[in-house]
Amino acid sequence: MSALGHYLEEEGIASVAISLIRPQTENTRPPRALWVPFELGRPFGPPGDAAFQKRVLLAALRLLERNDGPVLIEDSPDDDPRSRPDPAWRPPLPETEADGPPQVLAQRLEPEIASLRQAHARWRERHGYSTIGLSGFSPAEGGRYIAGWLRGEAPASPRKGYSAPLLLRFAIDDLKAYYLEAASGTGGKPSSRQLGDWFWNGTAAGAGLHALRAMYQGSDDDRLKLIAGNFTVPAARQNQPA
Amino acid sequence: MTRLSDLPADQAKRLAELECPDFATRPWVGGPPLSTRRVAIVSSAGLVRRGENPFRGRDADYRAIPSDTRPEDLLISHISINFDRTGFQEDWNVVFPLDRLRDLAREGIIGSVADTHYSFMGATDPVQMETNASEVAGRLKQDGVDAAILPPV
Repeated sequence: MSALGHYLEEEGIASVAISLIRPQTENTRPPRALWVPFELGRPFGPPGDAAFQKRVLLAALRLLERNDGPVLIEDSPDDDPRSRPDPAWRPPLPETEADGPPQVLAQRLEPEIASLRQAHARWRERHGYSTIGLSGFSPAEGGRYIAGWLRGEAPASPRKGYSAPLLLRFAIDDLKAYYLEAASGTGGKPSSRQLGDWFWNGTAAGAGLHALRAMYQGSDDDRLKLIAGNFTVPAARQNQPA
Repeated sequence: MTRLSDLPADQAKRLAELECPDFATRPWVGGPPLSTRRVAIVSSAGLVRRGENPFRGRDADYRAIPSDTRPEDLLISHISINFDRTGFQEDWNVVFPLDRLRDLAREGIIGSVADTHYSFMGATDPVQMETNASEVAGRLKQDGVDAAILPPV
Protein backbone atom coordinates (compact mmCIF):
# COMPACT_ATOMS: atom_id res chain seq x y z
CA MET A 1 0.00 0.00 0.00
CA SER A 2 2.38 2.60 -1.29
CA ALA A 3 -0.21 5.42 -1.02
CA LEU A 4 -0.02 5.26 2.78
CA GLY A 5 3.63 6.24 2.49
CA HIS A 6 2.64 9.35 0.61
CA TYR A 7 0.12 10.38 3.28
CA LEU A 8 2.50 9.69 6.18
CA GLU A 9 5.30 11.53 4.48
CA GLU A 10 3.02 14.53 3.88
CA GLU A 11 2.62 14.62 7.66
CA GLY A 12 6.37 14.41 8.30
CA ILE A 13 6.89 10.70 8.93
CA ALA A 14 9.56 9.11 6.74
CA SER A 15 8.38 5.85 5.21
CA VAL A 16 9.43 2.93 3.11
CA ALA A 17 6.96 0.52 1.53
CA ILE A 18 7.38 -3.12 0.64
CA SER A 19 6.04 -3.66 -2.87
CA LEU A 20 4.61 -7.00 -4.00
CA ILE A 21 3.07 -5.66 -7.21
CA ARG A 22 5.65 -3.52 -8.94
CA PRO A 23 3.33 -1.91 -11.54
CA GLN A 24 1.08 -0.58 -8.76
CA THR A 25 4.09 0.91 -6.97
CA GLU A 26 5.38 2.44 -10.19
CA ASN A 27 1.99 4.08 -10.70
CA THR A 28 1.63 5.34 -7.14
CA ARG A 29 5.24 6.56 -6.96
CA PRO A 30 5.70 6.49 -3.17
CA PRO A 31 8.72 8.17 -1.58
CA ARG A 32 10.55 4.85 -1.16
CA ALA A 33 9.74 1.21 -1.87
CA LEU A 34 11.50 -2.13 -2.01
CA TRP A 35 9.97 -4.55 -4.50
CA VAL A 36 10.21 -8.19 -3.43
CA PRO A 37 9.70 -11.18 -5.74
CA PHE A 38 7.60 -13.12 -3.24
CA GLU A 39 4.11 -14.47 -3.51
CA LEU A 40 1.22 -12.28 -2.39
CA GLY A 41 0.78 -12.60 1.36
CA ARG A 42 4.51 -12.93 2.12
CA PRO A 43 6.06 -9.46 2.06
CA PHE A 44 9.04 -10.62 4.11
CA GLY A 45 9.44 -14.00 2.41
CA PRO A 46 9.77 -17.39 4.07
CA PRO A 47 8.19 -18.24 7.40
CA GLY A 48 10.63 -19.42 10.05
CA ASP A 49 13.69 -17.88 8.40
CA ALA A 50 14.63 -14.96 10.62
CA ALA A 51 17.90 -14.22 8.80
CA PHE A 52 16.14 -13.95 5.44
CA GLN A 53 13.33 -11.78 6.83
CA LYS A 54 15.86 -9.51 8.50
CA ARG A 55 17.77 -9.05 5.24
CA VAL A 56 14.59 -7.95 3.48
CA LEU A 57 13.54 -5.63 6.31
CA LEU A 58 16.98 -4.06 6.54
CA ALA A 59 17.24 -3.61 2.76
CA ALA A 60 13.99 -1.65 2.95
CA LEU A 61 15.01 0.41 5.98
CA ARG A 62 18.37 1.26 4.40
CA LEU A 63 16.45 3.20 1.74
CA LEU A 64 15.67 5.69 4.51
CA GLU A 65 19.35 6.65 4.53
CA ARG A 66 19.46 7.47 0.82
CA ASN A 67 19.06 11.02 -0.34
CA ASP A 68 18.48 10.47 -4.06
CA GLY A 69 14.69 10.51 -4.02
CA PRO A 70 11.83 10.92 -4.39
CA VAL A 71 10.99 8.44 -5.91
CA LEU A 72 13.09 5.43 -4.90
CA ILE A 73 12.00 1.95 -6.03
CA GLU A 74 14.61 -0.76 -5.57
CA ASP A 75 14.39 -4.52 -6.20
CA SER A 76 15.18 -7.23 -3.67
CA PRO A 77 17.36 -9.86 -5.31
CA ASP A 78 16.54 -12.96 -3.26
CA ASP A 79 13.81 -15.44 -4.08
CA ASP A 80 11.78 -17.08 -1.33
CA PRO A 81 13.28 -20.55 -0.75
CA ARG A 82 9.99 -21.72 0.76
CA SER A 83 8.23 -21.28 -2.57
CA ARG A 84 9.78 -24.61 -3.60
CA PRO A 85 7.80 -27.76 -2.74
CA ASP A 86 9.02 -30.08 0.00
CA PRO A 87 8.94 -33.62 -1.45
CA ALA A 88 9.00 -35.09 2.06
CA TRP A 89 5.80 -33.34 3.16
CA ARG A 90 2.72 -35.51 3.56
CA PRO A 91 -0.88 -34.28 3.96
CA PRO A 92 -2.64 -35.00 7.24
CA LEU A 93 -5.31 -37.06 5.50
CA PRO A 94 -5.15 -39.04 2.29
CA GLU A 95 -6.72 -37.17 -0.58
CA THR A 96 -10.38 -38.00 -0.87
CA GLU A 97 -12.79 -37.63 -3.71
CA ALA A 98 -13.21 -33.87 -3.81
CA ASP A 99 -16.47 -33.86 -5.64
CA GLY A 100 -20.11 -34.59 -5.18
CA PRO A 101 -23.45 -32.87 -4.66
CA PRO A 102 -23.58 -30.21 -1.92
CA GLN A 103 -25.73 -32.40 0.36
CA VAL A 104 -23.13 -35.16 0.27
CA LEU A 105 -20.26 -32.72 0.80
CA ALA A 106 -22.13 -31.32 3.82
CA GLN A 107 -22.35 -34.84 5.25
CA ARG A 108 -18.65 -35.44 4.69
CA LEU A 109 -17.47 -32.08 6.02
CA GLU A 110 -18.12 -32.54 9.73
CA PRO A 111 -16.39 -35.95 10.06
CA GLU A 112 -13.50 -34.66 7.97
CA ILE A 113 -13.06 -31.74 10.39
CA ALA A 114 -13.11 -34.17 13.31
CA SER A 115 -10.51 -36.39 11.65
CA LEU A 116 -8.08 -33.46 11.49
CA ARG A 117 -8.26 -32.80 15.22
CA GLN A 118 -5.01 -34.61 16.02
CA ALA A 119 -3.09 -32.97 13.20
CA HIS A 120 -4.32 -29.58 14.34
CA ALA A 121 -3.36 -30.37 17.92
CA ARG A 122 0.17 -31.08 16.66
CA TRP A 123 0.17 -27.67 15.00
CA ARG A 124 -0.83 -26.02 18.27
CA GLU A 125 1.84 -27.99 20.09
CA ARG A 126 4.53 -26.84 17.66
CA HIS A 127 3.47 -23.20 17.41
CA GLY A 128 1.63 -22.55 20.65
CA TYR A 129 -1.24 -20.80 18.91
CA SER A 130 -3.73 -20.88 16.05
CA THR A 131 -4.86 -18.12 13.70
CA ILE A 132 -8.47 -19.32 13.83
CA GLY A 133 -10.71 -16.74 15.41
CA LEU A 134 -12.57 -14.36 13.09
CA SER A 135 -15.91 -16.16 13.28
CA GLY A 136 -15.94 -17.01 16.97
CA PHE A 137 -16.79 -20.61 16.04
CA SER A 138 -14.84 -23.68 17.08
CA PRO A 139 -13.83 -25.75 14.02
CA ALA A 140 -16.73 -28.15 14.67
CA GLU A 141 -19.24 -25.30 15.05
CA GLY A 142 -17.92 -23.62 11.92
CA GLY A 143 -18.23 -26.89 10.03
CA ARG A 144 -21.87 -27.22 11.10
CA TYR A 145 -22.59 -23.65 10.03
CA ILE A 146 -21.00 -24.13 6.59
CA ALA A 147 -22.72 -27.51 6.19
CA GLY A 148 -26.03 -25.75 6.82
CA TRP A 149 -25.35 -23.44 3.89
CA LEU A 150 -24.39 -26.43 1.73
CA ARG A 151 -27.75 -28.00 2.58
CA GLY A 152 -29.49 -24.83 1.46
CA GLU A 153 -30.78 -24.04 4.94
CA ALA A 154 -29.43 -20.44 5.06
CA PRO A 155 -28.70 -20.73 8.79
CA ALA A 156 -29.20 -17.60 10.86
CA SER A 157 -26.20 -15.87 12.38
CA PRO A 158 -25.81 -16.72 16.06
CA ARG A 159 -23.41 -13.79 16.49
CA LYS A 160 -24.82 -10.40 17.34
CA GLY A 161 -23.81 -7.68 14.89
CA TYR A 162 -22.80 -10.15 12.18
CA SER A 163 -25.16 -10.86 9.31
CA ALA A 164 -25.45 -14.49 8.25
CA PRO A 165 -23.46 -13.94 5.00
CA LEU A 166 -20.71 -12.03 6.85
CA LEU A 167 -20.45 -14.81 9.40
CA LEU A 168 -20.26 -17.31 6.54
CA ARG A 169 -17.27 -15.39 5.18
CA PHE A 170 -15.45 -15.51 8.51
CA ALA A 171 -16.40 -19.16 9.06
CA ILE A 172 -14.84 -19.94 5.66
CA ASP A 173 -11.65 -18.05 6.59
CA ASP A 174 -11.45 -20.03 9.83
CA LEU A 175 -12.17 -23.33 8.05
CA LYS A 176 -9.25 -22.74 5.69
CA ALA A 177 -7.00 -21.75 8.60
CA TYR A 178 -7.92 -24.96 10.46
CA TYR A 179 -7.21 -27.23 7.49
CA LEU A 180 -4.02 -25.48 6.43
CA GLU A 181 -2.64 -25.33 9.96
CA ALA A 182 -3.44 -29.04 10.36
CA ALA A 183 -1.69 -29.71 7.06
CA SER A 184 1.40 -27.82 8.21
CA GLY A 185 1.33 -29.67 11.53
CA THR A 186 2.55 -32.87 9.90
CA GLY A 187 6.09 -31.53 9.67
CA GLY A 188 8.28 -30.60 6.77
CA LYS A 189 8.29 -27.28 4.97
CA PRO A 190 5.49 -27.44 2.43
CA SER A 191 5.04 -24.64 -0.07
CA SER A 192 1.74 -22.79 -0.07
CA ARG A 193 0.97 -24.42 -3.41
CA GLN A 194 1.37 -27.91 -1.93
CA LEU A 195 -0.96 -27.04 0.92
CA GLY A 196 -3.45 -25.46 -1.46
CA ASP A 197 -3.36 -28.40 -3.87
CA TRP A 198 -4.29 -30.73 -1.05
CA PHE A 199 -7.03 -28.49 0.32
CA TRP A 200 -8.66 -27.65 -3.00
CA ASN A 201 -8.21 -30.96 -4.78
CA GLY A 202 -8.25 -33.52 -2.00
CA THR A 203 -10.75 -32.54 0.69
CA ALA A 204 -14.50 -32.34 1.08
CA ALA A 205 -13.99 -28.85 2.52
CA GLY A 206 -12.33 -27.56 -0.65
CA ALA A 207 -15.02 -29.17 -2.78
CA GLY A 208 -17.66 -27.74 -0.45
CA LEU A 209 -16.38 -24.21 -1.00
CA HIS A 210 -16.51 -24.71 -4.77
CA ALA A 211 -20.09 -25.93 -4.29
CA LEU A 212 -21.02 -22.93 -2.13
CA ARG A 213 -19.69 -20.59 -4.79
CA ALA A 214 -21.75 -22.31 -7.46
CA MET A 215 -24.87 -22.37 -5.28
CA TYR A 216 -24.94 -18.76 -4.18
CA GLN A 217 -23.06 -16.58 -6.66
CA GLY A 218 -26.33 -16.01 -8.47
CA SER A 219 -28.28 -15.35 -5.26
CA ASP A 220 -30.87 -12.57 -5.08
CA ASP A 221 -29.33 -11.56 -1.76
CA ASP A 222 -26.57 -9.14 -2.77
CA ARG A 223 -24.50 -9.79 0.35
CA LEU A 224 -24.66 -13.55 -0.13
CA LYS A 225 -23.87 -13.17 -3.81
CA LEU A 226 -20.81 -11.08 -2.91
CA ILE A 227 -19.59 -13.57 -0.31
CA ALA A 228 -20.07 -16.53 -2.65
CA GLY A 229 -18.39 -14.84 -5.58
CA ASN A 230 -15.47 -13.22 -3.79
CA PHE A 231 -14.85 -15.00 -0.51
CA THR A 232 -15.09 -18.72 -1.14
CA VAL A 233 -12.62 -19.84 -3.83
CA PRO A 234 -9.51 -17.80 -4.72
CA ALA A 235 -9.09 -16.68 -8.31
CA ALA A 236 -6.18 -19.06 -8.81
CA ARG A 237 -8.42 -22.04 -7.97
CA GLN A 238 -11.64 -21.06 -9.68
CA ASN A 239 -10.72 -22.76 -12.93
CA GLN A 240 -9.76 -25.95 -11.20
CA PRO A 241 -13.10 -27.21 -9.87
CA ALA A 242 -12.80 -30.32 -7.82
CA MET B 1 9.30 -17.16 -6.88
CA THR B 2 5.95 -15.56 -7.57
CA ARG B 3 5.55 -12.67 -9.90
CA LEU B 4 2.53 -11.32 -11.71
CA SER B 5 3.30 -13.69 -14.55
CA ASP B 6 2.67 -16.60 -12.16
CA LEU B 7 -0.87 -15.48 -11.36
CA PRO B 8 -4.01 -16.22 -13.36
CA ALA B 9 -4.07 -13.80 -16.29
CA ASP B 10 -7.26 -12.02 -15.18
CA GLN B 11 -5.98 -11.51 -11.65
CA ALA B 12 -2.57 -10.30 -12.84
CA LYS B 13 -4.18 -7.83 -15.24
CA ARG B 14 -6.52 -6.52 -12.57
CA LEU B 15 -3.67 -6.04 -10.09
CA ALA B 16 -1.32 -4.43 -12.58
CA GLU B 17 -3.96 -2.06 -13.88
CA LEU B 18 -5.53 -1.17 -10.56
CA GLU B 19 -6.25 2.52 -10.49
CA CYS B 20 -3.77 4.28 -8.22
CA PRO B 21 -3.97 7.81 -6.83
CA ASP B 22 -2.27 10.44 -8.94
CA PHE B 23 -0.63 12.62 -6.31
CA ALA B 24 0.22 16.19 -7.19
CA THR B 25 3.08 16.37 -4.69
CA ARG B 26 6.11 14.16 -4.04
CA PRO B 27 6.86 14.45 -0.33
CA TRP B 28 10.24 13.31 0.94
CA VAL B 29 11.15 13.37 4.60
CA GLY B 30 14.76 12.87 5.58
CA GLY B 31 15.98 12.02 9.02
CA PRO B 32 18.81 10.92 11.25
CA PRO B 33 20.88 7.76 10.74
CA LEU B 34 18.98 4.48 10.95
CA SER B 35 20.78 3.65 14.19
CA THR B 36 18.84 6.38 15.99
CA ARG B 37 15.47 5.97 14.30
CA ARG B 38 12.34 4.79 16.08
CA VAL B 39 10.48 2.50 13.71
CA ALA B 40 6.80 1.50 13.49
CA ILE B 41 4.99 -0.98 11.26
CA VAL B 42 2.03 0.42 9.32
CA SER B 43 0.55 -2.64 7.63
CA SER B 44 -2.20 -2.85 5.04
CA ALA B 45 -2.94 -6.51 5.78
CA GLY B 46 -6.23 -5.89 7.57
CA LEU B 47 -4.68 -7.00 10.85
CA VAL B 48 -6.85 -7.03 13.96
CA ARG B 49 -6.25 -8.17 17.49
CA ARG B 50 -8.26 -11.21 18.55
CA GLY B 51 -11.64 -10.10 19.80
CA GLU B 52 -11.54 -6.77 17.95
CA ASN B 53 -14.03 -5.90 15.26
CA PRO B 54 -12.63 -7.34 12.01
CA PHE B 55 -12.48 -5.32 8.80
CA ARG B 56 -15.77 -6.12 7.09
CA GLY B 57 -15.39 -4.55 3.67
CA ARG B 58 -13.41 -1.79 2.08
CA ASP B 59 -13.19 0.02 5.42
CA ALA B 60 -11.00 3.13 5.55
CA ASP B 61 -10.30 3.02 9.28
CA TYR B 62 -7.39 1.35 11.03
CA ARG B 63 -6.47 -0.73 14.05
CA ALA B 64 -3.76 0.00 16.60
CA ILE B 65 -1.50 -2.91 17.53
CA PRO B 66 0.51 -2.41 20.73
CA SER B 67 4.06 -3.75 20.71
CA ASP B 68 3.22 -6.21 23.49
CA THR B 69 0.68 -8.00 21.26
CA ARG B 70 1.42 -11.73 21.08
CA PRO B 71 1.40 -13.71 17.81
CA GLU B 72 -1.59 -15.72 19.01
CA ASP B 73 -3.58 -12.51 19.30
CA LEU B 74 -3.10 -11.15 15.78
CA LEU B 75 -5.47 -12.14 12.97
CA ILE B 76 -5.78 -11.19 9.31
CA SER B 77 -9.22 -9.92 8.28
CA HIS B 78 -8.24 -8.54 4.86
CA ILE B 79 -11.13 -8.95 2.45
CA SER B 80 -9.07 -10.50 -0.34
CA ILE B 81 -8.70 -14.28 -0.39
CA ASN B 82 -6.23 -14.10 -3.27
CA PHE B 83 -3.05 -14.13 -1.23
CA ASP B 84 -1.26 -16.76 0.80
CA ARG B 85 -2.06 -16.89 4.50
CA THR B 86 -0.10 -20.01 5.40
CA GLY B 87 3.12 -18.03 5.78
CA PHE B 88 1.48 -15.75 8.36
CA GLN B 89 -0.07 -18.75 10.10
CA GLU B 90 3.35 -20.26 10.60
CA ASP B 91 5.25 -17.07 11.43
CA TRP B 92 3.70 -13.65 11.86
CA ASN B 93 6.97 -11.97 10.88
CA VAL B 94 6.19 -12.85 7.27
CA VAL B 95 3.54 -10.10 7.41
CA PHE B 96 4.19 -8.24 10.66
CA PRO B 97 7.96 -8.23 11.29
CA LEU B 98 7.87 -7.14 14.92
CA ASP B 99 10.40 -9.73 16.08
CA ARG B 100 12.77 -8.70 13.27
CA LEU B 101 12.47 -5.03 14.26
CA ARG B 102 13.32 -6.05 17.82
CA ASP B 103 16.35 -7.97 16.50
CA LEU B 104 17.54 -4.85 14.65
CA ALA B 105 17.02 -2.68 17.73
CA ARG B 106 18.91 -5.18 19.92
CA GLU B 107 21.80 -5.11 17.45
CA GLY B 108 21.83 -1.33 17.40
CA ILE B 109 21.01 -1.19 13.68
CA ILE B 110 17.85 0.81 14.40
CA GLY B 111 17.34 3.01 17.44
CA SER B 112 14.15 1.55 18.88
CA VAL B 113 10.79 -0.04 18.14
CA ALA B 114 7.56 1.96 18.43
CA ASP B 115 5.18 1.28 21.29
CA THR B 116 2.26 0.97 18.88
CA HIS B 117 1.90 -0.22 15.27
CA TYR B 118 -1.06 0.15 12.91
CA SER B 119 -2.99 -1.71 10.26
CA PHE B 120 -5.26 -0.60 7.46
CA MET B 121 -7.20 -2.81 5.03
CA GLY B 122 -5.29 -2.51 1.80
CA ALA B 123 -8.11 -3.18 -0.67
CA THR B 124 -9.74 0.11 0.33
CA ASP B 125 -9.49 3.06 -2.04
CA PRO B 126 -6.38 4.85 -0.71
CA VAL B 127 -8.01 8.26 -1.13
CA GLN B 128 -10.58 7.24 1.49
CA MET B 129 -7.78 6.52 3.95
CA GLU B 130 -6.15 9.95 3.84
CA THR B 131 -7.81 11.39 6.95
CA ASN B 132 -7.11 8.27 8.98
CA ALA B 133 -3.53 8.11 7.70
CA SER B 134 -3.03 11.68 8.92
CA GLU B 135 -4.41 10.66 12.30
CA VAL B 136 -1.99 7.73 12.44
CA ALA B 137 0.86 10.09 11.57
CA GLY B 138 -0.12 12.21 14.57
CA ARG B 139 -0.13 9.17 16.84
CA LEU B 140 3.25 8.08 15.48
CA LYS B 141 4.71 11.49 16.26
CA GLN B 142 3.38 11.30 19.81
CA ASP B 143 5.23 7.98 20.11
CA GLY B 144 8.44 9.60 18.87
CA VAL B 145 8.42 7.55 15.66
CA ASP B 146 10.43 8.92 12.75
CA ALA B 147 10.31 5.96 10.35
CA ALA B 148 7.51 3.67 9.17
CA ILE B 149 7.83 0.38 7.33
CA LEU B 150 4.74 -0.32 5.20
CA PRO B 151 4.16 -3.99 4.37
CA PRO B 152 1.22 -5.04 2.17
CA VAL B 153 -0.09 -8.55 1.61
